[in-house]
Amino acid sequence: MLLPKFDFHAPATTEEACQMLTELGKNAKLIAGGTDLMVNMKHRLISPEHLISISGIDELTKLDSSDSVIKIGACFTVADLAESEEIGKKLSALRTGARALGSPLVRNLATIGGNIGTARPAADIPPSLMVYGAKAVLKSSTGERTVSLDKFFRGPGLTEIQANEILTEIQAETPPPYAGAGYINLGIRKAQDCNLVNVASFVALDGPDGIIKDARIVMGCVGPIHLRAPSAEKLLIGEKPSEAIFAKAGAAASGDCTPIDDFRGSAAYKKAMVEVLTRRTLGLAYDEAKYRG
Amino acid sequence: MSEYNVINSRASRIDTPDKSTGRAVFIDDMSMPGMLYGALLQSPLASAKILSIDTSAAENLPGVKAVVTAKEAGLVKYGVSPARYDETLFCHDKVRYVGDEIAAVAATDLETAMEAVSLIKVEYEELPLLLTIDDAMAEGAPVLHEKYPGNVCAEVHQEFGDVEAGFKESDLIKTQTFRNKRQDAAFIEPQGCLARYDPSSGNLTLHSSTQVPHYVQRTLAMVLKLPVGKVRVVKPYVGAGFGIKAAANPMELSACLLSMKTGKPVKMNYSREQVFMFGRARHQFTHTMTTGVKKDGTLMALKHECYLDGGAYSSFGIATVYYAGSLLGGPYKLPNMKYDGYRIYTNKPACGAQRGHGGVAARACWEQQLDIISEELGMDPLEFRLKNMMVTGDITCNDLNMSSLGMRECIDAIKEGAGWDAKKGRLPKGKGIGMACGFFVSGAGYPIYRSDTYHGTVVIKLTEDGGTALVYTASAEIGQGSDTTFAMIAAEALGILLENVRLESGDTDFGVDLGAYSSRQTLMTGHATKEAAEDVKRQVLEVLSEELKIPAEDMDIKNAAIVFKKEKPDFSAMRTRYIKEHRGWSDNPAEDDELSFREASRIAFLARGSIVGTGKYKPHELGGKFKGAAVGTSPAYGCSAQIVEVSVDEETGKILIEKVTDAHDCGRAINRTSVEGQMEGSVSMGLGEAMYEEVKFDGKGRVINSDLAEYKIPTSLDMPPVEPIIVESNEPNGPFGAKEVGEGAIMPTIPAILNAVYDAIGVRIRELPLTPERVYMSIREKEKE
Repeated sequence: MLLPKFDFHAPATTEEACQMLTELGKNAKLIAGGTDLMVNMKHRLISPEHLISISGIDELTKLDSSDSVIKIGACFTVADLAESEEIGKKLSALRTGARALGSPLVRNLATIGGNIGTARPAADIPPSLMVYGAKAVLKSSTGERTVSLDKFFRGPGLTEIQANEILTEIQAETPPPYAGAGYINLGIRKAQDCNLVNVASFVALDGPDGIIKDARIVMGCVGPIHLRAPSAEKLLIGEKPSEAIFAKAGAAASGDCTPIDDFRGSAAYKKAMVEVLTRRTLGLAYDEAKYRG
Repeated sequence: MSEYNVINSRASRIDTPDKSTGRAVFIDDMSMPGMLYGALLQSPLASAKILSIDTSAAENLPGVKAVVTAKEAGLVKYGVSPARYDETLFCHDKVRYVGDEIAAVAATDLETAMEAVSLIKVEYEELPLLLTIDDAMAEGAPVLHEKYPGNVCAEVHQEFGDVEAGFKESDLIKTQTFRNKRQDAAFIEPQGCLARYDPSSGNLTLHSSTQVPHYVQRTLAMVLKLPVGKVRVVKPYVGAGFGIKAAANPMELSACLLSMKTGKPVKMNYSREQVFMFGRARHQFTHTMTTGVKKDGTLMALKHECYLDGGAYSSFGIATVYYAGSLLGGPYKLPNMKYDGYRIYTNKPACGAQRGHGGVAARACWEQQLDIISEELGMDPLEFRLKNMMVTGDITCNDLNMSSLGMRECIDAIKEGAGWDAKKGRLPKGKGIGMACGFFVSGAGYPIYRSDTYHGTVVIKLTEDGGTALVYTASAEIGQGSDTTFAMIAAEALGILLENVRLESGDTDFGVDLGAYSSRQTLMTGHATKEAAEDVKRQVLEVLSEELKIPAEDMDIKNAAIVFKKEKPDFSAMRTRYIKEHRGWSDNPAEDDELSFREASRIAFLARGSIVGTGKYKPHELGGKFKGAAVGTSPAYGCSAQIVEVSVDEETGKILIEKVTDAHDCGRAINRTSVEGQMEGSVSMGLGEAMYEEVKFDGKGRVINSDLAEYKIPTSLDMPPVEPIIVESNEPNGPFGAKEVGEGAIMPTIPAILNAVYDAIGVRIRELPLTPERVYMSIREKEKE
């Protein structure tokens, strides 16, 4: 398969990239790792006349966790996420998601921004980020805004990013003490897979043996975008963590999702798996929360 | 230790330096001056009448050098088996699947060729679609091929013994149905070729990623109406085939035709999507089997019915439908067997041969049924199999002669290797252990076309300066290691070192070799290689005999030196003569050295000119006079047994294959590492078919998972630890006692997984693949019961 013809641009700064994007408009696409874009271009699903590469912009490849807000550049690679000790300590479920993505070869190229920006409902990175309450920073020549990931996705392949904007950074607050998260993805094989269902859960306790004061559950592959499980979350808050309450939350989450039958699996199976994975990820989240003083 | 000097070792493969450094040349690495690129127009519809084809816009595109359709190609029918030639190079009246070839273009570059293809206008009239066997067999269904009413491409009806009588004597009779899914072999290298026609001489040379240069050569000559002597097929390094590359494809024919039209070399490649579109891999089989046994476990009878979803053309299908029945004749003593097989045309890519041709799904169905039966009888499945196992010299009810059969040794080996007795019936819920057996031919007993041809010829020539044996074979190294195998056999038989052998293969100019399919090369090409090496050795020893006045039988060649069995003669005059010819050379033999092969072969050349030995092989007369006996008969059979250990997550249905213990009787192992490689590769392929793989179609007959992201083969992370155990028998019909390992090794994998999954969760699953969803749903259904 051959790539369609295009002009390649490699701006050195975000400002330059924003400028190009403004000028070239709809005929341009941003490219970071290209693991999705190249495939779609080869399939002629899209044939942009210009590609603006942002992977050479230094500030977009940085991780800054010096502050209580962890800032991850959009071009930080998934391989780096998967290996980062800082991320493992502060946002462990994100690291689990990064480790589940694609294969080593794909992870070396794929970026955190790309995995969010492509807005695939089966993607591995968004659920964990969403349970950590992460935000996306969008820049354009005229300014900058921050959008919560909860409001970022609009549909398969569709996001809040406007044609003149670049997703430059992901920000997530360091979770409070006695908070933890877990991520599980279920697929057919161990790598290079498209998830059948993936779930991330987060719980914050009010002390080592305390009640759940905050809970967030995000489900993938079971709707047009990654979905929160509001009734499951509500049911957990104020409760003492237990296998029983996690199982109840699982069942509630299963009711919160809206999967469809497709060639990868039936809606009935996906619903059933949301229940199992929600319960299991809550267990993982609780295990972490207990000890994260 | 081994009585051999070269074979039976773990010698490094002779292609390792090329492949590990990237020097190895595959089709994609090749180019020629003035080369054009070809592209195919393939039907976007699965079933339609062609009303008109307009190529004018394509022809007028700058850079386009030729556009060919059925008008230029003619309508010569071809295929795999002459009994079912049902394809023409290009469709002229109708298209029968999405991908059916309509035209081909040659242009100065690939972009132009592809653009030209998009400019060809074809008017279609859509016809009803037959995407399933049920559709195709329905009353009044339209026919794909006029010649084959009811869309029955081939049917087989065989009975050996008396099945009804066998059932009458049985105490327990079980019936089960089982279904696999259409496969893609997912070889790493998509098909590709480079054709070069020389208008001045009329010679056509096709370089192609093929398993069978010989059959491709014949098909090219027939379809393109060229004298076969003018057609040469050369195979560079090939990234595997697994059966799909075991016949000429329309791309090869198109490239040749385009080269003939333009007088320029033409290169063509399939994209991965086209690999799926072309198909020719494993069929979907639906088996229904009824087996009767006595209370003591004695197998009495098998009644077997099978439907194959064939796709739009025959390809290997006739052989497939026969193999699906005949390969259950062994390895158990089965006195009565009835088989009814039907291969049905549908509007999908044709299916063909894939590793374990025809026998894999049948084996999966039956070996699972044997476990069901042994459980009901209260027998250990392993003991049940041993009770019925054939031994060396047994002949099956359908006349397959087990001239060597290390089945019992295989079972003993895996039983011990896996610790069966400590685990079977003692594992906690969710963990399981299962086993199965299987066997396969060591080469089809007959060529694909009816002929008395030798199945393989080999020429070995000694370099005139001595010291190196040049082996020329038309056999096909496709990654399995056959070049190394034949170099080792040549070295062993001639008595020299592996490093003294240089081997060239895969070129029809080197002789006849039917190629890499039906697990034939080690036995068949191996025989021819051994014979050629012995011929060369005889000639060298004859000259020595004349020169030294010693009977030839009192000498031998071993480790590249002459062995004098009796008194060592004075060969100093001969040595002096040799050294005189090589004044100033630094590597002349020292006075006390043994007489070297290098000296001897130089002396032989001086006496007789070039020393050339030839070898040839075709099987002796094989059993079976009934219709279809040619499919399944072989000079020898390899056999294997495997134990698989699994754990099943009952909440998600996800299976983890934890370990495979795998024993295979390959006769004498020529290269032990290569044998293990084949065993592990077979496990990987069987595991993929059992667990993940299925070619899926939409309602229009288009493949919807035609890439290796959505068509899921096992990744390296999915491979369990495999403990390969080589069981060596001494096959009387094999060179040095060797027989197959390439395909037989896949036979037990799927049923052993199925049996292990049952052991873990108590649920029998009768359809592949074992996706988490299928397993989960099966568990829930069982709970409802």
